[in-house]
Amino acid sequence: MQSCFKKMLLLGVFAGIPAAASINAEMEGMEVDSRDDGTFLVGSPTYFFDRRIGAGGVHSESELWSPEKLRYRLLFNRFSVLPSWDPVEPSVWLKTGNELGDMIYQDFITSKNRPDNRTPILEGGFRSPSFKGFWATARMFQDDHFSSMTRTARHKMVDDEFSLFGENYPMFSSGYAGLGFTNASVNASALVGEEYLWVFGESSRWIPVHYKPRVETRVDVANISATVVYEDAEYENRGEKEYGSRKEWNGSVRYRCGKACEGAVFGVAAGLAFRAVSDSGAVYTELDGNRVAWPFIELNIRPVKRVKAEAVFGMNDDDWLVQDSIEYQAPTPDGMGAVIGVKNISGTRLNPLADDVEFFDGSEIELSAAGQMNMIQSYVSFADSIQFAGIGGRISLWAEHGAETFDTTETVRDEDLVYRKGDVARINSWIKGVTGELWIGAWYREMFAFKALGGFEHLEGAEGEIEVTPAEFFVSFSADWLLFKSFRISHSLRYRSDAEWNLRSSDPLVVKGDWYWDATFEQMFPKQQLYLAGTLLHVLGDEAIETPNGSRNRMRFVCTVRKMF
Amino acid sequence: MKKLLLALVLGICSAALAQSPTDSAFSHIYVSVEGGEQYPFGDLVDAVENSFYGGAGFRYTYAENIDGFILVDYSYIKPVPRHVKVYGAHQVSGKLGLDFKWKAIAPLAIGAGFVCDWVRADYDEDKIDENSFKHDLGGTLTDNETEFGWFARLNLPLIRKETYRVGFNALWKELWTLPKRSEMLSMGVYFERRIW
Repeated sequence: MQSCFKKMLLLGVFAGIPAAASINAEMEGMEVDSRDDGTFLVGSPTYFFDRRIGAGGVHSESELWSPEKLRYRLLFNRFSVLPSWDPVEPSVWLKTGNELGDMIYQDFITSKNRPDNRTPILEGGFRSPSFKGFWATARMFQDDHFSSMTRTARHKMVDDEFSLFGENYPMFSSGYAGLGFTNASVNASALVGEEYLWVFGESSRWIPVHYKPRVETRVDVANISATVVYEDAEYENRGEKEYGSRKEWNGSVRYRCGKACEGAVFGVAAGLAFRAVSDSGAVYTELDGNRVAWPFIELNIRPVKRVKAEAVFGMNDDDWLVQDSIEYQAPTPDGMGAVIGVKNISGTRLNPLADDVEFFDGSEIELSAAGQMNMIQSYVSFADSIQFAGIGGRISLWAEHGAETFDTTETVRDEDLVYRKGDVARINSWIKGVTGELWIGAWYREMFAFKALGGFEHLEGAEGEIEVTPAEFFVSFSADWLLFKSFRISHSLRYRSDAEWNLRSSDPLVVKGDWYWDATFEQMFPKQQLYLAGTLLHVLGDEAIETPNGSRNRMRFVCTVRKMF
Repeated sequence: MKKLLLALVLGICSAALAQSPTDSAFSHIYVSVEGGEQYPFGDLVDAVENSFYGGAGFRYTYAENIDGFILVDYSYIKPVPRHVKVYGAHQVSGKLGLDFKWKAIAPLAIGAGFVCDWVRADYDEDKIDENSFKHDLGGTLTDNETEFGWFARLNLPLIRKETYRVGFNALWKELWTLPKRSEMLSMGVYFERRIW
């Protein structure tokens, strides 16, 4: 752990702040809920705002397309790991948890101000050991957390409980099974399943989507990765007697240079992402021409040892997007690192694969804006370490013109929820930001690694026009303990200052700053490959609503049993 | 309570740092049966009566001077308020924890861990409309309810032989319920048999 953490600290010079403590996420893809390096606001497993301080620009990470997200799920216009259909390592596992605060015996003596019923999560699955390269897998996972506040409104829209089981109207419920083949040169899988999802529109409306079935196939062979997905989706709004369906093919193919480019001056990768849909009835969104193809190329140039330039460029009939950076690694003594870099993002749309129009309450919401955005950021990072401690930091200046935002023309209140009309638009003026981050680490053999992080960011320009005004500062203290080589405690104590949603209601929604504590306790049996973990999430913090039309982010407990094969 | 939890965690960490790493996990395993009585604490005294419990346990060596254990027990718990319409509640309690065996206090072991209680009301389905009753006292328990919490325990072996032992457990648990936490103390006797 010592060398690992030291390496991580130095890597932080190149990639940003070192990773936080190893808190187990309640579901794969919900790691943002325990992140401490920026503004992370969770309204549902299927919708959150995730923006690292110092990332540059005002967009969140999940809004921006990148080649690394080719196998992510597209939830409306955001990329999401959840619900993840990534085949796991060979194992069998069971996970359950609950939003803490059911009454149980307090129910016998609580007649007034009875708290809402808390809701659970459940996940179970397996992937068999390989038999001559072949394996089988199945997984059922459902997260009922974050469902209670919007349950009444969502209940009116669907004919049944909209889940594989239970009556809590969970924000997603998914199950799949399939077969795969893995050897030294091929990794392939084919999965089929059923899924219920509530996705969040730009109108702030929850849209129920029932995939019946969803089929995903993946092949990795040599330097090529390919994915093809078929989704037969049903849409419904029982209250309005609206029903529709969308049959969609989507996927990608990506070629990477691989070993031939390791250490070379020039590296190249390229690929194509695509979607093709066939809609009938009320689907609530539209993809122009019912199809989109997104060819892209990735370049990696290292003309000299200390200079590295990277670029990703994609373009089609409607949009283009380029993300590039150049970094100079300054000469430093062993154990130190210093990097000076410049990063740029320019394009007509952050997510060129998303739908183009949302239909809401008789109006059309354009999901893309005319013109283009340009964001440029310059930064300096450094790190230094001694035998058992290290320090690092990063400062940056950034400016963005044409940032994607939303032009809200009207808000509509429906009981407890607020919706909006308008169009995705641009902020045609410069927004400028200055950021600073500092981290200190200490470690002791394999037993202990401690990290203290702090960061601030000051924005100027376009106040009130940005979808989310991010937190101005954060501090966090996290530690990973490994006791008697088999008992892990990972925890994180952190504070985030106020953040503000400006454009989804007539009055801004201020998410107050607060302290949070998350912790994972894990009994490990390395010899038996058995792991028993319990995780406490969102302790200390108020049960706040962190996104418009989202549910309260409550204290939760999740336990997992996993046996690896 | 949070301070107590923190102190417990820090205590465990301090003790563990003094351990020398071993690979003794599952070098011995034991099964047991246990019975006793549990007593509500604090506000819960007004909610439920004392109750008997019975269950089974599984204990395993985990590291030097540290054992892991899993306990599962059942109890039938009656409400105190007379106007509550349910007769009682079935409770199945599962616990996962660690016992720490310091030589200074041997043979006493101090343990802690997480607890998960499943509860369902015992009521007459013909006399109660589930939908409207959910808003009355005890109403949420007509559906399956679970809640997590944590516990600490003292484990005192009274008779110790090579293949079995008889002992006494005192266990204090806190469920993370609302509007207040629910605390209970249970005291019981166990008989334990070594499997290997």
